[in-house]
Amino acid sequence: MRVALAEDGALFREGLLMLLQAAGHEVVAVAAGGDELISLLATTPADVAILDIRMPPEPDGGLITAERLRGKYPEMGLLFLSHYAESHYLMRILEIGTDSIGYRLKERVGSVEVLSDTLGRIADGEIVIEPVLAKRLVERPRGQKKDEIAALSEREVDVLRLMAEGRSNNGIASQLVVTPKAIEKNIANIFAKLNLHTDTSEHHRRVLAVLTYLRSQRDGS
Amino acid sequence: MRLEPAARADREGAPCPALDEPVAHPGPADRPFPTNSNAAPAARDVHAARRHRELQQWHARLRLERQLHDGAALRISALALQLGLFQHRVPPGEPELRDAVGTLQDELATALQELRDVAAKIYPPLLDQAGLGPALRNLVERLDAPVRVTAGPERFGAAAEGAVYFALADALGVDAGALPDEVRVTRESDHLVVVVSGAGVGLGELIRDRAFPLGGSVTGPDVRAAEPHGVGTIVVRIPCE
Repeated sequence: MRVALAEDGALFREGLLMLLQAAGHEVVAVAAGGDELISLLATTPADVAILDIRMPPEPDGGLITAERLRGKYPEMGLLFLSHYAESHYLMRILEIGTDSIGYRLKERVGSVEVLSDTLGRIADGEIVIEPVLAKRLVERPRGQKKDEIAALSEREVDVLRLMAEGRSNNGIASQLVVTPKAIEKNIANIFAKLNLHTDTSEHHRRVLAVLTYLRSQRDGS
Repeated sequence: MRLEPAARADREGAPCPALDEPVAHPGPADRPFPTNSNAAPAARDVHAARRHRELQQWHARLRLERQLHDGAALRISALALQLGLFQHRVPPGEPELRDAVGTLQDELATALQELRDVAAKIYPPLLDQAGLGPALRNLVERLDAPVRVTAGPERFGAAAEGAVYFALADALGVDAGALPDEVRVTRESDHLVVVVSGAGVGLGELIRDRAFPLGGSVTGPDVRAAEPHGVGTIVVRIPCE
């Protein structure tokens, strides 16, 4: 796999570079910050970019860089590494994309097997979330969340599932062979039933709805 | 929690690199304690000196937290990677050695988690990096507390944000039964304003303890109006840095 890497901590960057090479990956770009990585990637294609969340450009260079990369190369997988596993950052990451994306703790990708498995799943289009964070999300007030999903109609669950796949309203409409207007109505109902209040932006509510769906999926499995 | 030694070191040491503005900016509103021992200090000088001291303590906390992250934590994370490389090079016939390296990595992860727990008690990294809204949401999420947090992306300075965060964290930690219904964070000119509804008397006291040294004001809860539950609304105003 062709991997690009941006991390401002020299010790960690060197360690990760050696581990990636030991795992047999081709490291096509190594940078100490997001801007540098983007200019390197202008001439070199990569399958997955590994980004430290907190690096230049400050403060959250990894997130800014990821937005740019997703805009320029929608096919490129993104793996965020951080010292913290926080749902705040997961939300922001899922706002960037809900496919081919991952969020893991720095010390938890420290083996060839885990690193390759994480990169492979991202390249295959999956969302990879640090298990300790996924567990925390799943173990939250379960009964309430389950009820919320159960309150949705069959059509609304279909819409939510397609939202979780990262589709736009128009994309969902064509998939379900209805008008975009009908989808907007479905989504408004989903927000209301999931108690996503109007004090947050439409986009943020969309992400929260997707997260609720993902949590309910994990509950089921 | 008092961090007197660190605060003293702060006064003598280098300025906090994260601050856009210096902590101490003597002026009409924030004058250090007068050095002339013959003059009786005016009440507002005493308050200004107290606020100055309190600001320095909050920034000392912030600096300690960052030191843990940028120093020990990053070093241990890199060590975990180096162990992974070492594990990869263990010959196939040495499964026990391989497992032993895996155990060492787990130990490092545990040490890192303990460092994070300590850092969060000194000054929560999420509060530093993302502000009151995300930090408070994270707090109620972890405590599984049904408290609604309404906050925009504005920032108010490490001291004011820290004071509000720790007062609520203390209240939630002490008695989860006395949770407020909602915490609303806004800015009014150069003040952080936090409105806590459904708050008990105890939370009011915790917030007063944190807000007064920073020159803040606290009103409520007027529990008489809210009998029989003994809860009301608290309004906290703390000057920003």
